[in-house]
Amino acid sequence: MNKKDPIIQIEHVYKYFGPFLALEDINLQVDKQERIVIIGPSGSGKSTLLRTINQLEKVSSGRIVVDGEEVTDPDVDMNKVRMGLGMVFQNFNLFPHKTVLENLILAPIKLKGMDKNEAEEIAYSLLEKVGIKDKAHNYPKQLSGGQQQRVAIARALAMNPKIMLFDEPTSALDPEMIGEVLDVMTNLAKEGMTMIVVSHEMGFAREVADRVVFMDSGKILEVGTPEHFFTNPSHPRTKKFLSQIL
Amino acid sequence: MEEKQRAEVRIEVTDGAAIPTEKDRGLLSAWRIAFFGSIALVIGLCIYKPHPYLDILEFVPDGIRVTFEVTIISIILSFFVGMLTGLGRISKNRGINLIASTYIEVIRGIPLLVQLFYIYYAVGSFTRIPPFFAAILAMTICYGAYMGEVFRAGIESIDPGQTEAAMSLGFNKRQTMFYVILPQAMRTILPPVGNEFIALLKDTSLVSIIAVADLLRRGREYATSTFNYFETFTMVALIYLIITLLLSKFVSIMEKKMTPYE
Ligand SMILES: Nc1ncnc2c1ncn2[C@@H]1O[C@H](COP(=O)(O)OP(=O)(O)O)[C@@H](O)[C@H]1O
Ligand SMILES: [Mg+2]
Repeated sequence: MNKKDPIIQIEHVYKYFGPFLALEDINLQVDKQERIVIIGPSGSGKSTLLRTINQLEKVSSGRIVVDGEEVTDPDVDMNKVRMGLGMVFQNFNLFPHKTVLENLILAPIKLKGMDKNEAEEIAYSLLEKVGIKDKAHNYPKQLSGGQQQRVAIARALAMNPKIMLFDEPTSALDPEMIGEVLDVMTNLAKEGMTMIVVSHEMGFAREVADRVVFMDSGKILEVGTPEHFFTNPSHPRTKKFLSQIL
Repeated sequence: MEEKQRAEVRIEVTDGAAIPTEKDRGLLSAWRIAFFGSIALVIGLCIYKPHPYLDILEFVPDGIRVTFEVTIISIILSFFVGMLTGLGRISKNRGINLIASTYIEVIRGIPLLVQLFYIYYAVGSFTRIPPFFAAILAMTICYGAYMGEVFRAGIESIDPGQTEAAMSLGFNKRQTMFYVILPQAMRTILPPVGNEFIALLKDTSLVSIIAVADLLRRGREYATSTFNYFETFTMVALIYLIITLLLSKFVSIMEKKMTPYE
């Protein structure tokens, strides 16, 4: 693993919603195979930051480079970049009119021109990996929240992305289902996936994260190892926040 | 924490016959009374007074066929016009958006009968348009506008998270619309489309005015040649009623079949 091999560079990013400044001078570099966990109070801009990386949200100014492509350049082929950038949402956002299997094969077939058999083979092996192969022919609504989120992870992985973005993947789940989703994510991290995860699951952060990023009011206030955050966070806001959630 | 379950979206019914559902017992029995009552009435009249009632029944089937032809061709065409218009209405392109919105605004502000006259007589004074085509053209243009609003509402009822999920996988806007949004919107759209279908069928009676030999026109022909106005229009009204009731039943069955994603 080459530690100084940036796959994402975020430089001086600002994001306004009307007059409201949601991101203020964000600078962050993520190396290949690095696992970043972003924490911070609600409304601090965590989702917005994550969404600027795959350009679901356009930046107001600044520059973001993902795997050599400058995604903030209006001329970039963003659809192609997004194929290499998986995203998992808080509310799963599975396609309700398609079965689990169809959810997984739609993008590989339509976007990569993969043939159906090959796509299904990959889909089945991914479903096995996330532990719900037996649900392949069910519709999302027939699954529990934890199962749906695991399908959503498998759907993103079906495009064989280099980077995975997770936006509070467990915060819409019943407590007893959080573990099964975190396990899938932990395994993914062990396989060397580059991951940026917005989450307040501190056990997960401690086990998996290389670095933790603390955001507040649209700014990155502190970046450090999980140990640093749990033992002696430097910023008073960080201390206050951690004391609230731990 | 609880999972948010999206409320089922229903688009408000604007026109057309009330569609009976299981939940609405009152309406269901009203449907039964109207349907079986009108059938009994037709049969009773034909037995009681075969002349002219049975004669009328034998005279109008050609007209029923034409009514159905106009209805089905127009509904299919207006479905596609409506889809394009609906997509135009939600388009970020200002020009396309303006064209679609203006089309809807203009068409909805002019009575269908006037539109029909306009196409058949006004435009017809430059180029001759066969009545059947004029009828279908007018119905399509008119109902395309209404259907455009149905499509827009259906598309806008889909969770924006669906678009985000599709885009995050690498689908462009057009692919997202056709693979993800429209298939889901179809379900919300089906009941109002069914209503438009029924409303359109009734409105086709207007085309009898421009010499299309539909059900009403055939009735008028019979009535004027025999002077049996009361009997003829009683039968014509009953036939329209029976067809409309059958269609509304059909739509409600389709709707029930479409509901679950399970
Ligand atoms: N589309 C939007 N329009 C206006 N304001 C928004 C929009 N999206 C997010 N915001 C605002 O930006 C801030 C940051 O939001 P978000 O990134 O979702 O925070 P977090 O994920 O940390 O809870 C919030 O104050 C939110 O209200
Ligand atoms: Mg958020």
